[in-house]
Amino acid sequence: MAQAETLFDASELTVSMGPQHPSTHGVLQVKLKLDGERVLDAECVIGYLHRGVEKLGEVQTYGQFVPTLDRMDYIAAVSNCLGYCETIEKLLGVTAPPRAQYIRLIMTELNRITSHLLWLGTHAIDLGAITTFLYCFREREEILKIFENYCGARLTTHMFRIGGTQYELYEGFQDQVRKFIQDFPKKVDEYETLLTENRIWLDRTKDVGIISGKDAIDMGLTGPSLRGSGVQWDLRKAKPYCIYSEFDFDIPVGEVGDTYDRYLVRMEEMRQSARIVSQAIDKIPDGPIMAKMSKIIKPPVGDIYHSIESPKGELGYYIVSDGSTAAYRARVRPPSYVNLQSLKKMVVGHMVADVVAVIGTLDIVLGEIDR
Amino acid sequence: MKVKRRDLSLLKRLFLVDLIRGLKLTFGYQRPSANYTEQYPKERPKIAERFRGAPRLNNDPVTGETLCIACNLCALACPEHCIEVGWERDPAGKKALTTYTFDVSRCMFCGLCEDACPTPCLELTQEFEMSLYGRRDMKLDRKTLEEGVQPVIYLK
Amino acid sequence: MDFAIDNIIIPLIKIGIVFGVLSGVVALMTLAERKVAAFIQVRLGPMRVGPHGILQPLADGVKLMLKEDILPAKADKWIFTLAPIIALVPAFIVFAVIPFGPSLELFGKTIPLRITDLNIGLLYVLSISSVGILGIILGGWASNSKYPLMGALRSAAQMVSYEVALGFSIMGVLMIAGSLSLVDIVNKQKEFGWWFVFLQPLGFILFFVCGIAETNRAPFDLPEAESELVAGFHTEYSGFRFSLYFLAEYANMIAVSAMAVTLFFGGWLRPFANYPLPGFLAFLDAPLMGLVWFGIKVAIFLYCYLWFRWTWPRYRYDQLMKIGWQWLLPLALANLVVTAGIVLLFIRKG
Repeated sequence: MAQAETLFDASELTVSMGPQHPSTHGVLQVKLKLDGERVLDAECVIGYLHRGVEKLGEVQTYGQFVPTLDRMDYIAAVSNCLGYCETIEKLLGVTAPPRAQYIRLIMTELNRITSHLLWLGTHAIDLGAITTFLYCFREREEILKIFENYCGARLTTHMFRIGGTQYELYEGFQDQVRKFIQDFPKKVDEYETLLTENRIWLDRTKDVGIISGKDAIDMGLTGPSLRGSGVQWDLRKAKPYCIYSEFDFDIPVGEVGDTYDRYLVRMEEMRQSARIVSQAIDKIPDGPIMAKMSKIIKPPVGDIYHSIESPKGELGYYIVSDGSTAAYRARVRPPSYVNLQSLKKMVVGHMVADVVAVIGTLDIVLGEIDR
Repeated sequence: MKVKRRDLSLLKRLFLVDLIRGLKLTFGYQRPSANYTEQYPKERPKIAERFRGAPRLNNDPVTGETLCIACNLCALACPEHCIEVGWERDPAGKKALTTYTFDVSRCMFCGLCEDACPTPCLELTQEFEMSLYGRRDMKLDRKTLEEGVQPVIYLK
Repeated sequence: MDFAIDNIIIPLIKIGIVFGVLSGVVALMTLAERKVAAFIQVRLGPMRVGPHGILQPLADGVKLMLKEDILPAKADKWIFTLAPIIALVPAFIVFAVIPFGPSLELFGKTIPLRITDLNIGLLYVLSISSVGILGIILGGWASNSKYPLMGALRSAAQMVSYEVALGFSIMGVLMIAGSLSLVDIVNKQKEFGWWFVFLQPLGFILFFVCGIAETNRAPFDLPEAESELVAGFHTEYSGFRFSLYFLAEYANMIAVSAMAVTLFFGGWLRPFANYPLPGFLAFLDAPLMGLVWFGIKVAIFLYCYLWFRWTWPRYRYDQLMKIGWQWLLPLALANLVVTAGIVLLFIRKG
């Protein structure tokens, strides 16, 4: 018999970690070329969640486009809102009043905590620590209650408007937020007890998915994935927007660039966000919450690019205006889309079980990648 | 600031310290007071006042007439074009509302229509249990909107 | 007539009781897993079926039995059906040699509270539990599909590796007790006054860790984890056949717990068995209480199984195999050598 191809030949096996899979967070298809258990090549196929958001940006007016953007990165909807509103305000030459800026800052940082809690829960459950997921969602529930009390929705919040915010703070807001911020560091300590020094967690995440700082910068990686590789770059400190320059916080940075470092970076970021909110909650000034501008938004002809630090990385908006009520081109720079390109570099040479860990550590949201 | 990478010392490894700490934490959580579950539908959740749920047209409590002035601002504000307002001019020249359709299947509950309405007529209520049997039923007409979506009372 | 009663009727009754109780405990375990998991995860678990979800196993059983009987195309029908049975039966017949209690005086007869007492009881248990691995391999093979076969082989390789360390870890107990019979081992623990866990702590830890790996439970459950690429050997199983595999897993867990209790924790002995109790507590020494003590200890072990699953993450497959061969086997061998030395010098006195 000639060289028959049996099941156990040492040749390549192409496997599709298909769109329906419990661990690809969303509908992502990863085509893996395997040699036994080792990954030789990984190719991502995206587009299963494409909804034409950028085309809608050309049809809907500037004010109408804001709720559509919530659906992009549905976990960090407040950041999407903030980025877009700031971009249009820059185009119009309008600044939101200080009270609105404080409200925006507090809500965005709470949203950062929300997003990182969801990341932690799903990452842990992929690697088998199922209980952490439930604990994270309990904390997340508290923040979502705050969002619901403030703007009426939990996930797709549509909190801010161009020029400020729509909703005035509700009665009991400061107490509710203060109570949450007081309890939160203890809860983060609990997650750390369960995972950070656990030998199984260390074995699963140390030296898995290493990417060096130089490679990360070359690939355009941003956000905690970049900071895990040792590059100190955070848009809140490098190019401050909103009123971040008035607050005192640190940027955690890793050393090796593996999954464990990215995990530690995000855990520390949660604590720093809580620190920012605890500083801001005492200092909210009085005043109007909406800038004085016309109801119909017709920016001057021109284009602008503005980016913010969303929980996933650098979220950028490039708006081209032709003077009418709808944008000529509304382009979004999604951080997860750019971060996903580094999947191949991180995964080649590891085992199949590590692919799941690496996808989790990149913290991708398919809504953002496919738009 | 640099993050602190942890490593297990030999003694910690030998005596399974990290594993036991995790076990202690999960054991402690088994008390009934730590339970965080709401037994829906037996227990109704507490909905915020500003919750953006099912839409509703309000009537004047005294006269019973609709508060809608048929300004069409809600239809213009909606990103999904779910609202259709029909009006006619009465002999005095004022607009009077005739038909009002709201397509709930296309609505994303963003609240722009509620913000745009100059009167307290259009409001997004706290109803979220809006299941219906077909897409045709989802185009709510004026009568359904004025009655409002009825809450379902569960007996068990 | 006496012969018939002693050798046929009484053993049949005992087998019936043990089988019935075991099936009931297995069904209860499915509910206990969900409830314990829920309480650890600050939620409530099944609450709708029956008060606080007590009738949930009944509902699950009915559902699984009424499901459509799916057979993959070109799958070997007989082996496909036989495989879960091969996985389930060994877990049940291990209980033939486990002592549940001392002897009971009933109608003038002395009835020992065990099904039988093989003088090679321990060997019997080890060999029977190895047969269970066959059920997994056959299940993967009979599915006629790449991924279940690979999953089955990984599972089987894991179980075989940990069997070796398991066997070595209990040799210390064997040496101290001097007999393979499980009844003798329990009686020796009563004689010594110390449960063997105090004399063989390392042996106990190794046994329990290997036991967890044998039953494919967390943290060693990668072959059947949901978030894995290969869904494991029971991918193609649904309905009643799947429920047999499911029950086999729980029955294996109970078998390992029962073995750990018998070998290391004194079986049916009460704590401080050699110290007499004051009058009003004398009922704790009754023969039937042996069953209760055994039950309590096994329940604690089963709880530990659930506790570990819902707390810790899971190991990757290569790390799993490394632990089995690089760490557990040498430790078991070292334990064996040290125990042999101590037994020779102190217990057997030369």
